Amino acid sequence: MTNPVSRREFLNLLGAYGGTSAVLQAGAALGFMPSSSQAAEISLKANNGKKVAILGTGISALTTAWELTKAGYDCTLLEASHRPGGRMFTVRAGTVIDEIGNYQRCEWDDDPHLYFNAGAARIPSIHSSVLKYCKELEVELQVFVNESKTAWVQDDAMNGGKPVRNTDYSSSMQGFISEMLSKSLGKEQLDSSLTESESEILLGMLRSFGDLNEDMLYKGSVRAGYGSGGFLDHGTKRDVIALRDLLKTRLAGNVMVTTQEGTGSGPLLMQPVGGMDRIIYAFANRLGDRIKFRAPVTEVMVKDDGVEVAYEQNGVTEVLKADYCFNCIPSHLMSGIPNNFPDDYSEALNYIRRGKAYKAAFQAKERFWEKENIYGGITWVNAPSAQIWYPPHNIHGKKGVVLAAYNFGGANYTEMSQEDRIEDFLAAGEKVHPNYREMAEKPITIAWHRMNHMLGCAPRWARVRGGWSEKEEAMYETLRKPVNGRHYLIGDQSTQHSAWMESAIQSAHYALADLDQRVRSEPA
Amino acid sequence: MKKLITATTVVLSALCSTVSLAAEGDVGVEASMDDRYCTTCHGAEGIGNIAIEAPRLAGMEAWYLKRQLENFRAGIRGTHAEDIQGIAMQPMAAKLSDESIDDIVGWVGEWEYVAAEITVDGNVNQGRTAYQSCASCHGANAEGNEALGAPALAGQNDWYMITQIKNFRAGFRGAHSEDTYGSQMLAMSKTLRDDQAVINVVSYINTLQK
Ligand SMILES: Cc1cc2nc3c(=O)[nH]c(=O)nc-3n(C[C@H](O)[C@H](O)[C@H](O)COP(=O)(O)OP(=O)(O)OC[C@H]3O[C@@H](n4cnc5c(N)ncnc54)[C@H](O)[C@@H]3O)c2cc1C
Ligand code: HEC
Ligand code: HEC
Repeated sequence: MTNPVSRREFLNLLGAYGGTSAVLQAGAALGFMPSSSQAAEISLKANNGKKVAILGTGISALTTAWELTKAGYDCTLLEASHRPGGRMFTVRAGTVIDEIGNYQRCEWDDDPHLYFNAGAARIPSIHSSVLKYCKELEVELQVFVNESKTAWVQDDAMNGGKPVRNTDYSSSMQGFISEMLSKSLGKEQLDSSLTESESEILLGMLRSFGDLNEDMLYKGSVRAGYGSGGFLDHGTKRDVIALRDLLKTRLAGNVMVTTQEGTGSGPLLMQPVGGMDRIIYAFANRLGDRIKFRAPVTEVMVKDDGVEVAYEQNGVTEVLKADYCFNCIPSHLMSGIPNNFPDDYSEALNYIRRGKAYKAAFQAKERFWEKENIYGGITWVNAPSAQIWYPPHNIHGKKGVVLAAYNFGGANYTEMSQEDRIEDFLAAGEKVHPNYREMAEKPITIAWHRMNHMLGCAPRWARVRGGWSEKEEAMYETLRKPVNGRHYLIGDQSTQHSAWMESAIQSAHYALADLDQRVRSEPA
Repeated sequence: MKKLITATTVVLSALCSTVSLAAEGDVGVEASMDDRYCTTCHGAEGIGNIAIEAPRLAGMEAWYLKRQLENFRAGIRGTHAEDIQGIAMQPMAAKLSDESIDDIVGWVGEWEYVAAEITVDGNVNQGRTAYQSCASCHGANAEGNEALGAPALAGQNDWYMITQIKNFRAGFRGAHSEDTYGSQMLAMSKTLRDDQAVINVVSYINTLQK
């Protein structure tokens, strides 16, 4: 194997990122174990009979309604859609997909294992509030496999377009990185910043991380998968894919880190047995007819002593008068609903942009991935469809639902016809699994930008990468304060970490705490 | 539920006896699905929504509305690769039937005219001068002229009119060979020299709101 990156180049690279000492300083901070996050304890002043209007039935709204109902408030939820849950949406036999201009009905087999979480799908173990409600409402959870080393990476630019196992890719990448790093961290370099025992441990770690040989060189590893044998016969190493070839694909980042964000990452995540909407219906069934469906809000007027909400039901406009209002209607839809919010509040509301994301799925005739030793995890492809997820549940069952596309950022599926979307993910999947097209039954696609009553996948606050501006921070504070002490904006739009259920729930807890304080301080 | 120890436990337990996935709203869902989804984007009673860049429909002339829906459906409008907003609207009309279009035109007709909120602040005097060449088709009070096929402009969202005039000037709208009316407007849009002239004329149109 030739050494494709010189030591000098590598040190320059390190320097560009702040150099070793910067890395060490960052490392020092890791010495402090983050305290484990705990769900907030909600204890509201009970049974005051106050009327509350809750707009939308996103998880933030359902949390609010549930906590307030337990405390004896009189809640009414107004939901524009025929279903509760907003972005927590599970598709199974019979589900109607209300994408505007691309209405679909799911006709998969009627089987509890055959479902597809079209919105939220994964629960990280530190999302304590989500987990708290799953426990309280007896929503059964199971492990979700986010990363499988036997899943594939496919890019026409790499390996002649032939798919490579995740483990083949990542083991070699780890090997090369370790080799380069150990060479670069020469004696004099280490002496200046590390003690002898620290550098010994570091080099030992690098050897093990990269599976390097005695000379600290990467010469292939059985971790990449056996070339032959492995059980009755000695396992042999596979041919090493050259670093230069691994660097042909921009998927590298995804393959090496199956994590989306620091806080929501990890190979071990969770999902409710039977679909993410089990959480939604656990709330909704308990709230019963407090929820009005197909009741789009058409006006929100904050008064001195309460809130008046107009909504449509069966073609008639009704008005709901309440003491308080909690609103999770997406900000970009609120700007099309007449209201009397103060100017700075409206300005902040209109500032938030909406992100684009799409998913697709099909029912597989057979669990073909299991024949390829795959039992979960993600295959990465260089196509608009981007990802393939294999269901981690119902192993060795008859059929399974494969997530055939999941991507965010660009428009792609949003602007494609249903036929073109399906062709995109079939063509991409076929390069990985030769029988993919033949296995795919009854495909479903969902572009969140076009989903009725949502028109977006997640609120986007910051306009530039790398952080929030002062102006954005100020607008956020404006929106967190209730209008006139009566109207609360909730949902992940009202948090600094959008696109998580945990954030949406915590926004509800934050608003509830504020409400409770006001109620307690009222003269008796 | 067993673990709940609040005063409302009894009431709530009664409600959760069925662990159903069909909340009430799911029943008969398909029967009630129709093509009246316009307000999700165009705002309650079609008042327009700047965040979606979807203009006011309330008060729009039936003949103009019908023509636009038909043009979108046929791909005469909203198919130019750089017509970003038109591309968002085009698929919304692509599957409408003739009956559906008639139904929608009747439904939209029920919404009262409301003048859109003013968001631009150009030079009204210069805009007035520029508008003289528009008045022959759109009317002195921007009330529209059915005989000429030119819609009312008074009361329309100013941000929307700005996009449209820019799109006409750039050939993103009105350049399709079958867009008879759009092509007339495309020609007229060239009389406005630059972006500032567009803002000025729209600022003047803002003063004509009913
Ligand atoms: C593709 C995708 C993947 C995701 N993956 C994950 C994940 O793995 N893990 C995770 O934790 N989170 C994930 N999320 C994010 C998570 O789904 C959201 O953060 C959360 O569900 C937002 O809840 P919310 O309370 O803000 O309300 P929303 O879900 O935004 O609900 C808004 C509600 O308002 C209603 N509404 C709209 N207009 C009106 C009106 N005029 N009148 C009345 N009601 C109206 C809507 O119908 C809807 O019910 C994902 C989201 C998407 C889209
Ligand atoms: C996904 C959002 C969305 C939906 C749903 C939608 N529209 Fe639109 N519509 C738009 C956007 C955005 C524009 C602006 C296009 C442009 O700037 O060229 C628009 C433009 C229009 C126009 C042109 C207005 C004019 O003055 O020329 C009409 C008419 C229209 N829509 C009618 C409808 C009707 C009727 C429906 C329901 C059947 C509907 N729209 C549904 C987003 C939407
Ligand atoms: C020759 C007649 C004519 C003249 C003059 C004219 N227009 Fe138009 N205009 C039209 C027609 C016809 C349409 C409708 C095009 C269509 O149906 O797509 C239109 C459409 C528009 C629209 C889009 C309206 C909408 O709801 O989408 C705007 C904005 C507009 N004109 C502004 C102007 C301005 C400003 C001027 C003067 C600079 C002007 N027009 C001059 C004929 C004219």
